[in-house]
Amino acid sequence: MGNTIQWETDYATTLKKAQTDKKPILIDFFNPG
Amino acid sequence: MDAVTYPKGEVVEFLNKAVIPLRVPSDAKPLSDDFNLKWTPMLVVLDWNGKEHQRTVGFLPPEELIPSVLLGIAKTHFDLDQFGDAIKVLDGILSDYAGSSAAPEAVFLKGVCGYKNTHNPTPLKEAYEKLQATYPASEWTKHALPYRLLP
Repeated sequence: MGNTIQWETDYATTLKKAQTDKKPILIDFFNPG
Repeated sequence: MDAVTYPKGEVVEFLNKAVIPLRVPSDAKPLSDDFNLKWTPMLVVLDWNGKEHQRTVGFLPPEELIPSVLLGIAKTHFDLDQFGDAIKVLDGILSDYAGSSAAPEAVFLKGVCGYKNTHNPTPLKEAYEKLQATYPASEWTKHALPYRLLP
C-alpha cells in the first residue's frame, strides 16, 4: 500500500481493475494549474 | 486536497483499500466532457461497470472525505439493490463519522435500505426519529418528516 495514494491515471485500466476486484472507482478531477 | 487531505495517512489507507482511485486533470478529453465537468475538485464514485452513483464538487477536509466516499459506496450498493451491503457501509459512517456532513444522509438512506430490505416501515420511522434527535437542522430531517406519521 505504501504511504501515498496509488492513483491510476488511465480510465480503461481503472475500469478493468475495478471489474476484476469488484471495487468502486473514485475519480478525482483536478485543476492541473 | 493535495496539501491537506490526500497526505493524511488515514485517507491514504482508506482510498487504497476501499476504491480504485483515478486522478484525471480537468482538461483531459473526452473524460471531462463525458462527466460534464464544470468545476474542480470534483470527486465521482462509480461502480465497477463505470456507472456514476455520487459526485461532490469542492474541497473536502480529511475528516469529511472518508465519510463522503463511504456514502458514495453505500449509494452504489443501494442503486444495485444490495441493501444489506449498503447498511453495513452506512453503519460504518454512523459509528466512526457521526459528526460528518455525510452522517444525516446516511441515517436517511439506512432507513430507506431497511424498508427496501424488509418492506417493514419501522426503519423509516426510526430514521426520522434519529434525525430529529441528532440532526434536527439537517435537510435530511425535513426529507424524512412524513415518516413520523408511520405506525
